[in-house]
Amino acid sequence: MKIIVLVKQVPEADKVAVNPETGTLIREGVASILNPFCEYALDEAVRLKEEYPEKEIEVIAISMGPPQAKSALMRCLELGADRAYLLSDRKFAGSDVWATSNALSLGVKKLVPDFDLILTGKQAIDGDTAQVPPETAEHLGIPQITYGVNTKIENKKIVVKRETEEGYQIVSTRLPALVTMSKGSNIRRMPSMKQILEARKKTLEIVSAEDIGADDTKVGLNASPTQVAKVFAPPEKGGGEIIDGREEPKLAAKKIFDFLIANNFI
Amino acid sequence: MTDNIIITETIEEVPLETIRVIEGEEEIRISHPGYLFDESKISGGHAEKIFFPKNEQEVATIIKKLNEEKIPVTISAARTGIVGSAVPLYGGVIISFEQLNSVKGIGYDEEEKRWFVRLEPNVTLSELNDVVKLKKFEENQSIPPEKNWVEKFKELNTYYYPIDPTETSAAIGGTIAANASGARSFRYGATREWVKRIRVVIPTGEILDIPRGKYRAKDGNFIIKTKEGEIKLVIPSYEMPKAKNAAGLYAKTDMDLIDLFIGSEGILGIITEAELWIKEYESHMSNVAFFDNEIDALHFVDLLRKKSTFKPEFIEFFDKNALTLLREKQEEDPKFVDMPTISKTVEAAISFDLPFDEETIETIISEVGDFLGQCNSSLENTWCGYEERERARFKHFRHAVPEIVNNLIAERKKTYPEIHKLGTDMSVTDEHLVDIMQFYHKKLEEAGLEYVIWGHIGDNHVHVNILPRNMEDLEQGKLLYKKFAKKAVEFGGSVSAEHGIGKIKHEYLLIMYGEENVDQMRQVKLSIDPNCILNPGNIFDIEVKK
Amino acid sequence: MLIVDMEKCIGCGICEKVCPFGAIIVPTDTKKAKVLENCTLCGTCVNACPYGALTIERKTVSKEQLSQYTGVFIWGEWEKRENIPHIKNVVLELLGKGRELADRVNEELTVVLAGYNVEQLVSTLFHHGADKVILAEHELLEAYTTDGYATVISSIIAAKKPSIVLYGATPNGRDLAPRVAARLGLGLTADCTGLDIDKENQLVQTRPAFGGNIMASILSPYTRPQMSTVRPNVFKKPKEDKTKEGKTEIFEVKLKRSSIRTRILEEIHVLDEVVNIEEADKLVSVGRGIESKENIKIAQELAEAMGATLSGSRALVDIGWLPHARQVGQSGKTVSPNLYLAFGISGAVQHLVGMKSSDVIVAVNNDPEAPIFKVANLSVIGDILKIIPELTKLVREYNTKKESEEI
Repeated sequence: MKIIVLVKQVPEADKVAVNPETGTLIREGVASILNPFCEYALDEAVRLKEEYPEKEIEVIAISMGPPQAKSALMRCLELGADRAYLLSDRKFAGSDVWATSNALSLGVKKLVPDFDLILTGKQAIDGDTAQVPPETAEHLGIPQITYGVNTKIENKKIVVKRETEEGYQIVSTRLPALVTMSKGSNIRRMPSMKQILEARKKTLEIVSAEDIGADDTKVGLNASPTQVAKVFAPPEKGGGEIIDGREEPKLAAKKIFDFLIANNFI
Repeated sequence: MTDNIIITETIEEVPLETIRVIEGEEEIRISHPGYLFDESKISGGHAEKIFFPKNEQEVATIIKKLNEEKIPVTISAARTGIVGSAVPLYGGVIISFEQLNSVKGIGYDEEEKRWFVRLEPNVTLSELNDVVKLKKFEENQSIPPEKNWVEKFKELNTYYYPIDPTETSAAIGGTIAANASGARSFRYGATREWVKRIRVVIPTGEILDIPRGKYRAKDGNFIIKTKEGEIKLVIPSYEMPKAKNAAGLYAKTDMDLIDLFIGSEGILGIITEAELWIKEYESHMSNVAFFDNEIDALHFVDLLRKKSTFKPEFIEFFDKNALTLLREKQEEDPKFVDMPTISKTVEAAISFDLPFDEETIETIISEVGDFLGQCNSSLENTWCGYEERERARFKHFRHAVPEIVNNLIAERKKTYPEIHKLGTDMSVTDEHLVDIMQFYHKKLEEAGLEYVIWGHIGDNHVHVNILPRNMEDLEQGKLLYKKFAKKAVEFGGSVSAEHGIGKIKHEYLLIMYGEENVDQMRQVKLSIDPNCILNPGNIFDIEVKK
Repeated sequence: MLIVDMEKCIGCGICEKVCPFGAIIVPTDTKKAKVLENCTLCGTCVNACPYGALTIERKTVSKEQLSQYTGVFIWGEWEKRENIPHIKNVVLELLGKGRELADRVNEELTVVLAGYNVEQLVSTLFHHGADKVILAEHELLEAYTTDGYATVISSIIAAKKPSIVLYGATPNGRDLAPRVAARLGLGLTADCTGLDIDKENQLVQTRPAFGGNIMASILSPYTRPQMSTVRPNVFKKPKEDKTKEGKTEIFEVKLKRSSIRTRILEEIHVLDEVVNIEEADKLVSVGRGIESKENIKIAQELAEAMGATLSGSRALVDIGWLPHARQVGQSGKTVSPNLYLAFGISGAVQHLVGMKSSDVIVAVNNDPEAPIFKVANLSVIGDILKIIPELTKLVREYNTKKESEEI
């Protein structure tokens, strides 16, 4: 059985800021990581591989990104994926969600046409849109189940426990299907030195736009229906008073109380 | 040309009234009690005034005045010390350095071919690294200005200050006064190795500007030429242990003057400015290896430090009890430890950081695998991570044990308010590591005490923490502690490898050096601080001459 | 253009069966699919064809064609509360903003209400400003499913050609909107916090990215409709006017059981009490700093004394100290109360995203470097376990005093 995990490398979101003068992103000192939600998806895929040894599950990680995104795929291999592909090409530059999902679906069709399941993270912590997985599922013509927290494979079906506003739902669908994961195990995996070593022996290939038959009506800036008009810094928040109440908690509590009274909250 | 004679700088005083001050013992006790405590949590500190100088001039003015009036002074910076150095047990005055907290500039020493940073003593370790790593220097901060070092620095890769005593909110001045180290001293040594220059205020109110390499002891002494005359400092004649050491004054026949002040816990002079070396950041990977027997773990440590073709950043150890605490915490709150479940068969863990490079990773891991094989373990029984985010998990893991222990003691204090943890800070030489570990376990098991052992095993410096369940345990623990101290000294070690002596370890200093040698330290202090006003109670007891 | 690949097409007739408009047929003589003039390019058949014989080539809309798209549409999401359907609050909030946008471009404001037995909800939509409601009812729409709703909404959009479509960025909204966007080849902007019309009558969609550290303004210049999802509690609900009326248009829904590929096996309700932190105007929120499940009591007491609601960070929900319903943050709820008290919350970006837009934020944390202090109006470095009970005491004393004064 073949499980594809679609992953993305993202900057550590909480460290990125906009230069208020130039309106451009400041990326200095910001590390690139495997998107945490993608890690949940990879984790789930590896867990399924371990849980159903009779199904001989192969986990294939695919990502679209610049060449440096290789390190995120290497991490997938370290965490248990069997092979990995990076769709990387200048032609993909400027792709919005629609164009990205096109590229990914073309990649999937070319590289693993006989896939059974696609697992993705709920959203990427840089874009925060959560759009690429459903759009990819649509391009591939397969059903989707979002907000998954747990999955089970039953014959040719996948059964997913998903989050809803009131609690949970158990939903099933026939494979092939796409499931987005919004939660992972409480304990994150940690590769052993052995896995780190072995990952470097597994397949990690870079794939071009031409390899997957993607042209500029489908991918890249020109194919993208949404365009970014402007990027700017959010309005300044905070800047309020700072009280050190470590030595005198009673005094600190009084100051909070006074503040609340003054602002009519009590 | 080095010399053993140093001439002081005189500073123009400022009117004392212009310096910010808070007065009144009651007022301080009630509204500003924080200044009376540090992380040792000992009580008894009291003071009549707290001064808040803005610069070196104001510090010198205050010290001169206090010396004239023979009023004791305690220096207060980040107060993160754990031996009470910042606690004003003798009363008098506190000088808070909180306004001397700027990074002054950066330069490149063309002779030594190293970069350095100049800063005021209250800059914390985390602030320093933030500025250095992210290169947050202004154009006009080049030392000297005409060399444009700031511009050149910005073109380089990432740099940092490698001394890492865990508590990153510690102030640089304090780390110098205590000669702080930490895990990384295995690779990089202690703070001492990284201090390029200091400016020190002595009780006369004059300044000593001491670059490393300029002043060396001659005939076993230094001469300080002050405005009024001469001060002769006779270097103590004892031999310091070869193991990692932060106990008492540094003493060597031909020592550098700067080393007398580093680690002197503020009893000889007050630091107002420092220059520290920084180095290029290298990528590393963090690892933990698990062993079913402690002896295998110790064998692995030996292989790592003696036989490896690469140099680990540090080698840390966790004993069976530490792992049990972690395992229990994992069950209760997995996110606290944020690591996979530790197997129940494991009795010891070694945490170590290695250089990380895609070119060398396969050879390095294979070599480690080879060592593990010799120690009844394997590459499968390890954890490994190299991305910043992953390494942060390892750091968190290493600090989880002390945190869990502290919480445990806090709980027990609710029943026995007088209880506190007993943590050793002793080191031995390489060849005695296995012996001292066996000694610790044997004595503790015999006494039936609850304990946890973890620490910088690369330096043969582990913290044995006795966790008293009641007051009898506490008493028993204190007795054992003395036994450990004696044994460590026997094994060529130190009673305080990194925490310092402060106000609470005087008796251990005596165990280590004996009354005569400690008296030699007293003589040094009396020469430079005849009224004994500077941080009285640190390192040894001395009567303040009122 | 809907294109039939003659080699792949075997004439199975599924496309004819699923087409909502009867715009594709398989004549018995040719046995190959034939596209008729009334095809709206809704994409339903493309999805349904088992042989991949159908594709839609979408050319971007020219400026002249752009003007053919008019109307501001809102997806009328509804939910069952105690088994009775209610329009979700976010839809009413969108009606407020939608009205403003529709007036700016001088177009009609329509709500697309798809479901089963939901006709009773139509009037409240008019009361909150809708000019028109397109009512699409079918048994198979009783519960939300991606396939069912994506098909219906795509068909309606393809047929009616609105210029703007808005969805609440609810879990279902985020499940549905991208599916529709991909099907129709449209630009979609998620989680908008700002919507505006520019000089060229384009929808300017502003949203946070990088966890709220930057803001981006997005346009969809060449595709219509322009679609956005909007988070709840960002725009204000308009005042209800029970006198307002509007037009209802019935849309005939063609859906087959087999085209809905997911099955809901079980619904699990986890709310032990009805807690709605999104509607609270004051929140007492706790994070890891509370240290134990028992300690949460002290925060609860403060909340009660202040007439506030208790909420918390993801960390506490993950270990089961608080129910999911009380979770504030990226994977919880977005709240914008008048007052947000953050106790022992470090302020990780995923949390900030859920409460940054609160009017006033007071944060207490032991860590002077806690990021929460960057957004707080009042920051207090200290031990929450000591400060909260003190604060509760002061509030209670004040309350008792006020009460006795009033007597």
